[in-house]
Amino acid sequence: MSKIWKTTTMLAALAGLGLLGLNRAQADEVGQSTIYGDLTFVTQDMLNQAEHDGNNFLMTHGNYSQTRYYPNSQINAFNVQHLHPAWIFQTDVMESMETAPIVVNGVMYVTTSFDHVFALNARTGEQLWEYKHKLGPISVYCCGPNNRGVAVYENMVYLATLDAKLVALNAKTGKVVWQTELADPELGYSETMAPTVVNGKVLIGTNGGEYGIRGFVRAYDAKTGKLLWNFHTIPENSVGVWGTKDATGHDLHRDIAAEKAALAKLGDPYKRLGGGVWQNPAVDLKLNRIYFNVGNPSPDLDGSPRPGDNLYTDSLVSLDLDTGKYVCHYQYIPHDVWDLDAVSPAVLVDVKDNDGKIVPGVIHAGKTGYVYVNDRRDCHLIRFSEPMVPQENMFALPTHGIGTRMLPGANGGVEWSPMAVDPHLSLAYAINLHQPMHYSVAEAAYPAGKLWLGGAFKVIPGEPQWGNITAVDYDTGKIAWQVRTEQPMIGGVLATGGGLVFTGEGNGYFKAYDSKTGAELWRFQAGAGVNAPPSSYTVEGKQYIVVGAGGNTQLDYKRGNAIIAFTLY
Amino acid sequence: MRFLCSGCYALFLALLIFIGQSSPSAAQNAPEKAALCASCHGQDGVPLDPTIPVIWGQNEGYLYIQLRDFARGARKNDQMAAVVQQLSKEDMQALAAYFSKQPWPNLGQKAPPSDIVKKAEAIANSAQCPQCHLGGYLGAGVQPRLAGQSQTYLRKTMTDFRSGARANNDWMTALLKTYSDADIAALAAYLAGF
Ligand code: HEC
Ligand code: HEC
Repeated sequence: MSKIWKTTTMLAALAGLGLLGLNRAQADEVGQSTIYGDLTFVTQDMLNQAEHDGNNFLMTHGNYSQTRYYPNSQINAFNVQHLHPAWIFQTDVMESMETAPIVVNGVMYVTTSFDHVFALNARTGEQLWEYKHKLGPISVYCCGPNNRGVAVYENMVYLATLDAKLVALNAKTGKVVWQTELADPELGYSETMAPTVVNGKVLIGTNGGEYGIRGFVRAYDAKTGKLLWNFHTIPENSVGVWGTKDATGHDLHRDIAAEKAALAKLGDPYKRLGGGVWQNPAVDLKLNRIYFNVGNPSPDLDGSPRPGDNLYTDSLVSLDLDTGKYVCHYQYIPHDVWDLDAVSPAVLVDVKDNDGKIVPGVIHAGKTGYVYVNDRRDCHLIRFSEPMVPQENMFALPTHGIGTRMLPGANGGVEWSPMAVDPHLSLAYAINLHQPMHYSVAEAAYPAGKLWLGGAFKVIPGEPQWGNITAVDYDTGKIAWQVRTEQPMIGGVLATGGGLVFTGEGNGYFKAYDSKTGAELWRFQAGAGVNAPPSSYTVEGKQYIVVGAGGNTQLDYKRGNAIIAFTLY
Repeated sequence: MRFLCSGCYALFLALLIFIGQSSPSAAQNAPEKAALCASCHGQDGVPLDPTIPVIWGQNEGYLYIQLRDFARGARKNDQMAAVVQQLSKEDMQALAAYFSKQPWPNLGQKAPPSDIVKKAEAIANSAQCPQCHLGGYLGAGVQPRLAGQSQTYLRKTMTDFRSGARANNDWMTALLKTYSDADIAALAAYLAGF
């Protein structure tokens, strides 16, 4: 029996049983992966079509729009109760796991803390190769030795590392093809995000907003590792318009006169103003632009050494893909002194504007607990959602000593965790934290590459903490449904064509919900925190859901080292 | 200056003079300069005095950053200040690489009684010490290993962070400000016996 024939008959049999909602195009794609066997070469065309690819999971957030919506529906609301582990792979690193598995024609790439990369057989979990990045002596990171995964392009796999290097590996062997240093890790630069590759360019931002860096997004040549363009997330004129309100109209309690006096004395603070970028940029292939969110200013809690709006911190920024030139930005919180920044990835969707007209939108979830909806053409804010978590005493200034109690805490709302979107329902799914915190300020000189918070945000002992999964209608800003979880949530969400939403918890549960109603349909106990974004893929007619269960350093959820793939049959 | 180990001080001075007189070129490799360190940090990695920290098997990034901070004056200690005067950045990197590759010595410190362990664990949980010092308190990169470090040193250096006498990490200072002498003593005993 030929492989193609086998797959086709199996699909026909499954469709006959009424288990498959596959349309013709998806069935063709399944067939194609078997005709060509283990074809791991990733063309630009495949990446452009990733949104409709029912077989592969080609990017950290599924596709260039970053919807984390996987179109296949073999696993669906009717049969998900039969979902069970197909295989478990254990890495050799027992630490926080934030990897989003990437799958190319039956080959899966996952990463671990401390920058190991594994290539696995996506059918069996069998290891094909391992790359252990030899970390240099200095790697400085605020929130755990994490890595969020790789990018794939042509015959290479791209990784960014804790010691601020960009590495290209041969996809077949895991051998280094080229490696380049992005910045000096001794100054607080480090990498935890996955790169994005488009049109021969590897796009990468940087961590370091807690260390007084000057943030950037860059494009490197995918073949050679040569720098093509650099965009400073902090412009030389970072002062802005002295905004006194956030995007939602809350007063920020700024003392503009004092800031102007400080500006006259200190000059523009752009050199050490932070502005890290934690997540992949979204790519609009039509407009030929990228969209990403810039993180907090340094030092996090002390605004005194950084007068002005601190552009482009806490902002959505759009650039021209070819040149890296600025197109537009929108700042959500000018002069942030709470670390309530924008760290979750931008997602491109069509949205209704306030006249009900469909316009190209870009949305993201903030640590503030809002989902923000902007217009992709000029970056302006169309609307923001109802708050997804309690907000109390919002934007009260941090004080000396024990500090000010304020909600949400500095981890959010929504942390780096990517949302997923179901475009058929106009719903965005975000996972939230509720962690009451004290925000305190303590002035400190620039500590040359060491943690520079300018104070502290501390969880208030004894106050209950919890999390939730919230579905937001981005056409109205209304919350469609919400499910409470026992613990604050960190990791990420996947939505599928099967009417399902998948996400995991610190207590080890990995769950599936009905994407329309939020009803819990399935759960699995993984034995360690499931705090990574799930992916889905199909090989030889069989759909899988895959997720890392390695716990989380930042919230101290139980560590593990497993990649678990689930299937129905 | 207060030297607790008079024998090692004599040896140290002799070596300091010896190294100071020899050619200052980069030809002096790590092991040669490492001989100077042994006079206080121990021939076999066991420090000659309990106020001196273990540096054998400590994380490379952390060792380098400390040497750099002693040189910059960001961390103040008379003995180490004299030592780092002799060192270039390359020397510091080479020494850090060299000592990080030596085995961590067993100082034979036992776990404290269970009430102390309980107290320390409660503090460690609420302050999330393992968030940075990682599982088993082994650290990585620029985060120091704390497990099995000299108890007397741990207590001293945490007290120094708290008072600001050790001023090269604002975060550790801010964090430890909220803890009493007894809390710090419990943490030191707990980490030393880990
Ligand atoms: C005269 C004794 C002496 C000599 C010689 C000496 N040290 Fe030290 N070293 C100390 C003391 C005492 C401390 C603790 C300082 C403090 O309490 O802050 C220390 C601390 C350190 C630390 C910080 C460790 C930590 O856990 O924070 C490092 C690193 C270090 N020494 C490296 C070296 C190296 C490398 C050499 C040789 C080039 C050397 N020392 C030579 C006495 C010495
Ligand atoms: C946000 C990260 C972070 C947290 C949380 C943290 N530390 Fe640290 N700690 C560090 C860093 C970084 C250093 C190195 C300081 C330097 O660069 O000088 C350090 C240094 C230390 C040292 C000095 C070690 C030596 O060899 O001199 C001790 C002891 C220590 N920490 C104990 C603790 C304890 C106990 C807790 C919890 C109560 C804690 N730390 C929580 C980051 C952290």
